[in-house]
Amino acid sequence: MNFFKAQDQAKSKTRQLTFLFVAALISLLLMANLLVAVMLSFENPQTNFAQTIAQTPPQIWLFISLGVGGVVAVASLFKYLTLRGGGKAVAESLGGILIHQNTRNPQERQLLNVVEEMAIAAGLSVPPVYLIRENSINAFAAGFSPNDAVIGINQGTLDLLNREELQGVVAHEFSHILNGDMRINLRLMALLHGILFLGIIGGGFLRGSMFSRSKDRGGVIALGIGLLIIGYGGTFFGNIIKAAVSRQREFLADAAAVQFTRSNKGIANALKKIGDHSVGSTIENTQAEQSSHMFFGAIKPFAANLMSTHPPLEKRIQALDPSWSGKFEDTGSQTRQSSNAQSSALASGFSGSTTTSAPASQSELLESIGSANLAQAQVLIHNADAGLLSAARDTFEARGLVYAMLIAVDADVAQKQLEYVDANAEAGVPNHVHRLLPAVMNADQEQKLTLLEMAVPSLKELSARQYERFTGITNQLIVADQQVDIFEWVLHRILTKELYGHFVAPSRSSGNISSLKRLSPELHLLLSVIAAAGIADPQAQSSAFDAGWNLLPTNKTKTFTTVEYFDYEAFNNALGKLRDLKPQLKASLMNACIHTALADGTLTHDQFALIKGIGATLDCPLPPLGKNPQ
Amino acid sequence: MEMIILLVVVAVLAFWLVAIYNQLVALKNRQENGFSQIEVQLKRRYDLIPNLVETAKAYMAHERETLEAVINARNDASAGLAAAAGDPSNGAAIQELAGAEGILGSAMSRLNVVMEAYPDLKANQNMMQLTEELTSTENKVAFARQAFNDQVTEYNTYRSSFPPVMVAATFGHPNDAQLLEFEDSAAIQAAPKISF
Repeated sequence: MNFFKAQDQAKSKTRQLTFLFVAALISLLLMANLLVAVMLSFENPQTNFAQTIAQTPPQIWLFISLGVGGVVAVASLFKYLTLRGGGKAVAESLGGILIHQNTRNPQERQLLNVVEEMAIAAGLSVPPVYLIRENSINAFAAGFSPNDAVIGINQGTLDLLNREELQGVVAHEFSHILNGDMRINLRLMALLHGILFLGIIGGGFLRGSMFSRSKDRGGVIALGIGLLIIGYGGTFFGNIIKAAVSRQREFLADAAAVQFTRSNKGIANALKKIGDHSVGSTIENTQAEQSSHMFFGAIKPFAANLMSTHPPLEKRIQALDPSWSGKFEDTGSQTRQSSNAQSSALASGFSGSTTTSAPASQSELLESIGSANLAQAQVLIHNADAGLLSAARDTFEARGLVYAMLIAVDADVAQKQLEYVDANAEAGVPNHVHRLLPAVMNADQEQKLTLLEMAVPSLKELSARQYERFTGITNQLIVADQQVDIFEWVLHRILTKELYGHFVAPSRSSGNISSLKRLSPELHLLLSVIAAAGIADPQAQSSAFDAGWNLLPTNKTKTFTTVEYFDYEAFNNALGKLRDLKPQLKASLMNACIHTALADGTLTHDQFALIKGIGATLDCPLPPLGKNPQ
Repeated sequence: MEMIILLVVVAVLAFWLVAIYNQLVALKNRQENGFSQIEVQLKRRYDLIPNLVETAKAYMAHERETLEAVINARNDASAGLAAAAGDPSNGAAIQELAGAEGILGSAMSRLNVVMEAYPDLKANQNMMQLTEELTSTENKVAFARQAFNDQVTEYNTYRSSFPPVMVAATFGHPNDAQLLEFEDSAAIQAAPKISF
């Protein structure tokens, strides 16, 4: 499915859901008022029901409605605020343990490799991975946006699945990240919590009344029971809504997993193993209940009803593998086969890289956004220098890697920068900068950006103070030559987006601007910069600009103006405004950018970096291109 | 009417308490993650030391005592690490680890002094590689320790700030977490070198 369409759908789906919940809330309020009316009429047996209602001051109903509505709203808001912490808040509440990037445990290493490949294949930065100590086969993805997404995997998944199956599961989770499902999931969690909270308060009143001796005891009990019924009744219907949404998204994610891995075997076999395994995908942690819709498999064994958040296992497998016999093998606890899947996957990656990847045309390039190019990602990782790879995966050395990437080619500037690093970087880091520098100088730009994306989870393990020092040094290195070039800009963009979001506050786009009318200056700047990047001939620049501009859904006409120098501040401001475009307009924008860059049939290094940086800022994940910029 | 006000007050109070509780748990989790990062690096260090001693043995048979002291200190520190990793919130275990690390540090520096007298050992390729790796690992230990201590400080500051201080003990956070300070931490942070 098209990435931008999926984003749009996810947005409208969220709106529909909110609407459904508001409807549910209104009926809850009616029920609450009705409850009070019934109670009142019991207390005054001499008047009939209608008379009681007529005699009751109308403010009462208002107060009841405001009270109940207020509690639900506040509780939802509160849960939402807790969840704003993003994926890591969810993972930690489920007892997840962060897997360090430099782990020496072979199972964990393999898992991180699989996640890393899939992230790069999808053009996303590598998300942190949490291990859940449960023996069943299950996994989840959580977060508001790809920047604060995390992936959680059960120990059982690592013990029982081979690499190919693990890849299928991870691809399924990435589809949730890309399709905006995580956002829907977190909103659902918050809304449901609000309604459930009424029930919890009701329970509190009931317990409280046990110790109370006052005259009002009867009233308190009645109120408690009433709230309990409303709260749990509401939760019941809420869960049905949640389950219905979730079931549909699961099928989609399964299909996407096949598309991402170019194979149905991995994910189908993983699902079969859930069926074979004695505990299946059950999660014992009671906290998991409210996030049941985020998991790979159903967290409770009995499926196939209104309340199940996942389609029946058999149906999911059948959809993936029509030739399946429909019977699970009762293998109990089948252990994982030592597989050579890794090497074979790599081998197929190489043989396939020339034919399957390499988006041939502009439209294919655009189509690939939100998809994944696994073979190309494996090739990229495989071709990277081993020293640089291990540096990217180590929190300590990753900083050295980033510093090394910023060292200029110009000898004088480089000298100045290295002196600055020696004087200011943490003890031991300058050594790594000097050690990594030759290999970094040899790497091409796509490789460098790939390594940067791989280094992100390592850098997220810094403490807040270490992060501040790191960004301080990074910024100094960028401005050492008194100017910001395009590579430095994209590096800074990616780091800011990922790390600022992690350490300070995730930046979110509203996605509400539905017209390009007022954004002509911004669009003009964007396309002018891309048209001029790495291309000297003014004629070619101008026609490249036109190639992109004419594709924009706007009727203003603008012509190319020469860009004197790369003004990163103006560029950032322009992107800051364009961030809030609706997904479909972002698609048009990316389309125009790509057409401008490829107008003369070649993609320069700077153009590649610009597109990458624009994609990162606008939350349009760009999978590896499969052809090298020139 | 009073009922509704009461209800709202109770609700707001409950949210507020839950927020404090969540924050305490989150900070504690972060701190435990920080410790496991130290664990990774210290383990690596404890794996390297026996190799180093083994290589040194061939050259300095007369320094058995020094070498044994290093191995013993390494074993103690390794046991201390295992105990602390089991429960990073146990201040006593953390302190014990810090003590054992201090002894190991001084045993290592004694070894370095002794090695000064063996130029052949200095020139040994294997030895040079091990030393380099040990230095790099010690940098990483210091760095991971810094991150851990930052997180501990953050947790302790939050725990003892107002209002969390009123409820922290009730929520199962009665004590400040223990910083991991090594006796020779100044030396390690300055420039960890095993120069010979």
